[in-house]
Amino acid sequence: MENAQVVTANNIKEKNEQKSKSLWRHAFETLMKDKMAVMAIVIFIVYSIIALLTSVDIIAGDWAKEVGASYSPPSAENWFGTDIFGRSVVAKTLKGTQVAMSIGLFTASISAVIGIILGSIAGYYGGKVDEIIVWFYTTFSSIPGIMLLVAITFILGKGLVAVYLALGLTSWVSLCRLIRGEVIRHKDREYVHAATAIGGKDFRKLFKHILPNVLHIVIINFSLQFQVAIKSEVILSYLGLGVQGRPSWGTMIDDAKLELARGVWWQLAAATFAMFVIVLALNILGDALRDALDPKLKGK
Amino acid sequence: MKKMITILLSFGLVLGLTSCTKKEVSNEKVLNLAVSAKIKGMDPIYANDLYSSNEVARVYEGLLEYHYLKRPYTLVPNLAEALPTVSDDGMTYTFKIKQGVKFHDDKAFPNAKGRELTAEDFVYSIKRLADPKLQALGWWLLDGKIKGLNEWRDKYGDQPKVDYTEEVEGLKAIDRYTLQFTLAKPFPQFLYALAMPFTFAVAKEVVEHYGSEFINHPVGTGPFVLPEFKQTNKIVYTKNPTFRKKTFPTEASEEFKSMLTDAGKQLPLVDKVIVNILVESQPRWLNFQKGKIDYIGIPKDNFDSAVIPGKGITDDLKAKGINLTVTPSLDVTYTAFNHDNKLFANEKLRQAMSAAFDPYTANKLFYNDTALPAQSVVPPGIAGHIDGYKNPFIGPNLELAKKLLAEAGFADGKGLPEITYDCPSSTISRQIGEFFKQQMAKIGVNIKVVQNPWPELQKKIKNRTVMLYGIAWGADYPDAENFLQLLYGPNKSPGANGSGYNNEEFNKLYKTAAVLQDSPERTALYEKMNRIAAEKVPWIFGVHRQSYVLFHSWVKNYINADFNAGQAQYLNVDITAKQEAIKKL
Amino acid sequence: MNIWVYVLRRLLYVVPILLGVCLIIFVLFNVVAGDPTHLLLGKHATAKQMAELRHELGLDRPWFFQYLDLVKSAFTFDFGRSWSTKQTISSMISEGAIPSLTLTIPGFVLTTVFSVSLSLLVAFYRGSFFDRFSVFICVGLMSISSLAYILFGQWFFAYYLGWFEISGYDSGFPNWVPYVQLPVLIWIILSIGPDLRFFRTIMLDEVYQDYVRTARSKGLGEKVILFKHVLKNAMIPIITYVVIQIPFLILGALLIESFFGIPGLGGITLNAINSSDFPVIRAMTVLSAVAYIIFSVITDVLYTIVDPRVRLK
Repeated sequence: MENAQVVTANNIKEKNEQKSKSLWRHAFETLMKDKMAVMAIVIFIVYSIIALLTSVDIIAGDWAKEVGASYSPPSAENWFGTDIFGRSVVAKTLKGTQVAMSIGLFTASISAVIGIILGSIAGYYGGKVDEIIVWFYTTFSSIPGIMLLVAITFILGKGLVAVYLALGLTSWVSLCRLIRGEVIRHKDREYVHAATAIGGKDFRKLFKHILPNVLHIVIINFSLQFQVAIKSEVILSYLGLGVQGRPSWGTMIDDAKLELARGVWWQLAAATFAMFVIVLALNILGDALRDALDPKLKGK
Repeated sequence: MKKMITILLSFGLVLGLTSCTKKEVSNEKVLNLAVSAKIKGMDPIYANDLYSSNEVARVYEGLLEYHYLKRPYTLVPNLAEALPTVSDDGMTYTFKIKQGVKFHDDKAFPNAKGRELTAEDFVYSIKRLADPKLQALGWWLLDGKIKGLNEWRDKYGDQPKVDYTEEVEGLKAIDRYTLQFTLAKPFPQFLYALAMPFTFAVAKEVVEHYGSEFINHPVGTGPFVLPEFKQTNKIVYTKNPTFRKKTFPTEASEEFKSMLTDAGKQLPLVDKVIVNILVESQPRWLNFQKGKIDYIGIPKDNFDSAVIPGKGITDDLKAKGINLTVTPSLDVTYTAFNHDNKLFANEKLRQAMSAAFDPYTANKLFYNDTALPAQSVVPPGIAGHIDGYKNPFIGPNLELAKKLLAEAGFADGKGLPEITYDCPSSTISRQIGEFFKQQMAKIGVNIKVVQNPWPELQKKIKNRTVMLYGIAWGADYPDAENFLQLLYGPNKSPGANGSGYNNEEFNKLYKTAAVLQDSPERTALYEKMNRIAAEKVPWIFGVHRQSYVLFHSWVKNYINADFNAGQAQYLNVDITAKQEAIKKL
Repeated sequence: MNIWVYVLRRLLYVVPILLGVCLIIFVLFNVVAGDPTHLLLGKHATAKQMAELRHELGLDRPWFFQYLDLVKSAFTFDFGRSWSTKQTISSMISEGAIPSLTLTIPGFVLTTVFSVSLSLLVAFYRGSFFDRFSVFICVGLMSISSLAYILFGQWFFAYYLGWFEISGYDSGFPNWVPYVQLPVLIWIILSIGPDLRFFRTIMLDEVYQDYVRTARSKGLGEKVILFKHVLKNAMIPIITYVVIQIPFLILGALLIESFFGIPGLGGITLNAINSSDFPVIRAMTVLSAVAYIIFSVITDVLYTIVDPRVRLK
């Protein structure tokens, strides 16, 4: 009797794994067929490489160097001209990639971790625990994000880490809500019951059986949070709460509020363009991922 | 659904059309001004920033004012009949007040008619400044200066109600039009204090009628009326119909002689003043270029498109009839050390950092090469500034800087911790911070720039949690004492000496000079202090700025000044010229 | 279950949410706000003055009472006075709300109508080049920072081309109309991307429902299906999505208001952030949280009324 049960549970698990594997394979194939999505992935990879290379100073390591007169317009040597200190706008934009990508990565990771943990705990345990978590995120989402951002940066002080945390701590609610819903849906499925029967621990069950089935939501959400964070950095810079001491697209756009009226458009253009490309790519990727991964939408 | 779309379409059309039909036709003389910060209400005792005090001074007036057309700055009577008679010991000042001056009509007065101003009003207004319950922001100006006033203030600190009827020895209305001040100690700058908006006259009835809303109901004796102040982005003043006879000055310094065409005319010269609050510099500049704003300080980054160095304004602007006026400001920008920090007790380190800093390039980058790199604390134009003096530790002198740094024990910056540099949160402050970091990196000093909202920065300075901070000081009145007090030991934070610099020799000199009337003896003391400030490097000096202001051809009598709070009454607008000129914009 | 019982229960649930919102706001802002005395007393303050002021503001009372004050303010809208402008915050809010709404309501209404109609069109031509193109444009519009739109729009359309007022505001209709045109346009551009994308998903969700297939098999024209059936059914999520946005309209638009000189709540909030004016920041936060809670109740109730499938639990 005991044996039989084990077999059944394993069978179900295997089947389930097969199912999810084929889902992933299918998703991957769909994604590769979508030319826009492939392009978006390529862009994302290129940006990541630039970010990595700038962080070890292989490219744009000399962004702080003066390469020309203050505010010289675009020319053959300086494609996007120079800023107030005569620094190359191209080099600054490249260096800014590092800040942007790291903000995207850390923010999306922080919000994913919080969202997954709270969402799955609430969904899995239900009852009082669920009520408290739902209360918490409903409360949290009633407060406008910008106010939370301001308060958190005031508490944490200035700097890149504060920006990661502030943006991450204010963007987990939607993911948490989705995960909770999915976990509730999944926890009554037969394979989970089977796992319970063979004495799986709560944690094991959550992580081995349920989470892989909600992973696609996390991935879609991740790509969207990533680009929202990059855009939010501009607003933080405008408020003087942003990154300090190194170039970022936000500070470059913020500079433009003084420069544009005198005709210095290149800094605004370079930063906006750099940002446009990656944010657009992430948006397209997010859409494509949703189409490929969300079984509800499959076939449409 | 269709219906809804139709409604919305027509709504959109209305939006589009109304703008085309709007035309301004008026023969009113209107002055259009732009300011770059929110106004903090209209109560003189809280007007501690430039913007609020300018607004307050359109409605309220004081005993004295600066002569509009004379330089160096000269005090002349405003609500006073004449300059005061001063007792031989210099401690008692007696003023005669103009008769027949009326407060603006307001419902706080019987029959809503403004009553006549009396000497009592000044006694009341100055007591208000000292009122312990009101937390006036201008109290520092008279703190400890008027006999009995501090005692009066202290006495009511703990009591539920402040008694204004209790007489203060140094502050008396002898009769209806005679006012007498007795000082507690010599205070040579006293008359300047009476030209500052903090001491302007308010009426007791109005204060009591509006209570805590008094801040929104300015009722003064001044040239313009504002029935109610609202927190909007547009403040509209109209000419005071009951304004006393006050005329445009008939005398002028040489450079302003051309403005005497309006001499003898009744003030104010315009019917209306519209103040637009525009926080961002882009819309300010664009509005000026379209003629919606009459004059504007050139934003830093629009400088090149407006001015050709050494030649005045660009042909483009000249063709539009725009004029430029350049005036040195009485101010100094600086980077202060926190002297409570043990690190900066090392004088060589301070000197090294000063020598590494390049004020000339800073001048180019941030002030379009129009400012004057500061050698010490006192700006040119007032006694105490030493012409031709060169501070030995002014950069850029990397060789000296490196040598001094090595002598300080930190060769090439080794052994130095990362030094934080705090600055306000504006974009320019951030850029200045980045520049400072760049300069210090050249000698191996590692700087971290931290931006703060203005109150946060002040708090940090007060709590002594800063290391370096970048800031500027503009004069309250034209006297070097106003600058030197920033380094006087006993003024340490929470006083005005935010850096906490404390040098015994300097303190002794300051104490002696502070009680002297203007004299060669005092100037010598000021210069001596100025020299100490230069050589001991309590701050890294930046520049003394010049202000570049552009004004349109139709604006008459415009002068840029450090102390121009009451200026709007002297300005004139040529309506026909405006109609012509605006076509070209 | 009776609908009124549901409404009542939903309202009761507001209480813990509101208490929670106040708690978070209290913790965040009272931790950071700390001491207002520097701001209020200027640079020449003495320790005694500071202590007096703290007492006057009630900052020396136990935290629990201060928290209760905050909760009370959520109901009475009495937020005290601003630290920097010394105005009563309730009057700042009542004066700032209208300018904000003159910007946000036209922007919101136009965006909604425009994106709903466009999404119908896109659903009609689903899968075509037009569909993909408009989605691409939307995503493209979303990929540019709002600050860049504002800076460029003001400089190019208002100044260079002279089509709009550069900045400013006049109270009273129609005086404000010329001043809000460009800001409204920028608002629309900023919000049309996400809206259209969302509405398109909703429409497509409906298009693939069984009833559409049935209707088609009955020989109904595609247009009839789209307008009569799809739109009708899609209205429910659309209305939900739209209603929940309304509370954010009150807060106005931070950057747009500041650049275009519109004296609304967005500009007031921005100014408060820049000057660390915590009572104002706190009041704005409480205000928008309360509005959000109220509107989420309204959304839920509407939802149960229009869609009987939703269980009244």
